[in-house]
Amino acid sequence: MIIEEEFTVEAALGHVWNCIRDAAFVAPCVPGCQDVEDIGDGAYRAAVKVGIGPIKTVFKLDIQVSEEAPPGFARIETRGQEGTNASRLTAKSDLTLSAAGAGATKVHYRSDVQVVGRLAKFGLGIMKKKAKALGAEFAENFRAAAEAGSPAAISGG
Amino acid sequence: MDFYQPTSLDAALALLAADPEALPLAGGATLVAMMNADLVEPSALVSLRDVAELQTIEAAADGGFRIGAMISHAALADEARLGGGNEVVRQAAARIAHPQVRNIGTLGGAVAHGDPSSDLPAALVAADAAIEIAGPAARRVVAAENFFEDYLTTALKPGEMVSAITLPVQPEGAVGHYEKFARVHGGYATLSVAVVLAMAGGECSHVRVALGAAGATPVRVDAAEARLLGSVLDADAVRDAAAILAEASDPIDDVRGSAEYRLMLVPRLLGRALAAAEGGA
Repeated sequence: MIIEEEFTVEAALGHVWNCIRDAAFVAPCVPGCQDVEDIGDGAYRAAVKVGIGPIKTVFKLDIQVSEEAPPGFARIETRGQEGTNASRLTAKSDLTLSAAGAGATKVHYRSDVQVVGRLAKFGLGIMKKKAKALGAEFAENFRAAAEAGSPAAISGG
Repeated sequence: MDFYQPTSLDAALALLAADPEALPLAGGATLVAMMNADLVEPSALVSLRDVAELQTIEAAADGGFRIGAMISHAALADEARLGGGNEVVRQAAARIAHPQVRNIGTLGGAVAHGDPSSDLPAALVAADAAIEIAGPAARRVVAAENFFEDYLTTALKPGEMVSAITLPVQPEGAVGHYEKFARVHGGYATLSVAVVLAMAGGECSHVRVALGAAGATPVRVDAAEARLLGSVLDADAVRDAAAILAEASDPIDDVRGSAEYRLMLVPRLLGRALAAAEGGA
């Protein structure tokens, strides 16, 4: 499924890029993100808790920034699994930042997400709505954090 | 996994309070299917089958009803006393899946599951029902309209469960109707419309409309009902009300229909539902 969203941050492009490329800054903005580890060379490990009603799980994700053109573009490949491989997830995401007038930045992302396994049985319709809602929550958290401070100013979420 | 079969509501609540990963088991029509698909893994099941206080339908002195959570869809569909405006709930129960499912599935289970594609949530919102919730500390009542919060997410807090549904006294002369469009007989709704309607002197004097499978929760909009109220349910009024409801809807895309298709169904099914209710009014 394709998940595509766009939001605007009232901050300069360079600042937004520094924020979004700092795992310690981004992690607290991700709903349900319990743990993130920067393992170097643009690779990260994260654990993200997700749930829809009684269905609750933790996705363990390996995230790799495969292509990067600072300060405007990054391509990110994500692989993950939950419930000891009961479901697997792969995602290819393109993140594009562009200046939107004086001191504002437009953040656009487009992800192609594939889910196989038990969660796929549940139905992609609701999953897509859930992904969009989480994306909107992340956008709001990130926008507020990036407008309020810079990576160094954040400590432990 | 542990299995308990208490004989009183208090004992069931105590078991649920003692283990946050335990779930109450009503009919199991959905919960057991989800367990089979490995989607939920409760540490224990607390069967409500032998809890007598959840198994009754009481007609209140004022003309309303109090229906125990363990009443099956089949029993609800056969309940001849549910007439007038409350007929919408009886009709919705009768349209759930197939006899096998209606015989095991329960009102409380369907409500607690909170699936917006299922039949009862929209009907209960249209009927202005209230959900009785029993918890370890206290009992409380939440209007159906506020009970459903998101996909499979309700106002129930950990340790709480649905104990009963109350249906109010409907306005004089009100008629309920549940209009469901599904790909196959017994399937989940692509879209459904639940209405409670009363007419006086040819004009609409009371109306509540709720859509099922149109969003994360049943969709009901005051402005849509205001547009119908006082009208003769002419084509313009129905079209305007449907447009307001469609605007407030946010359906999913799935095998039962695209979001666009579901929105196209709103004016058609609303027209049919109102005509059917008016025909009976």
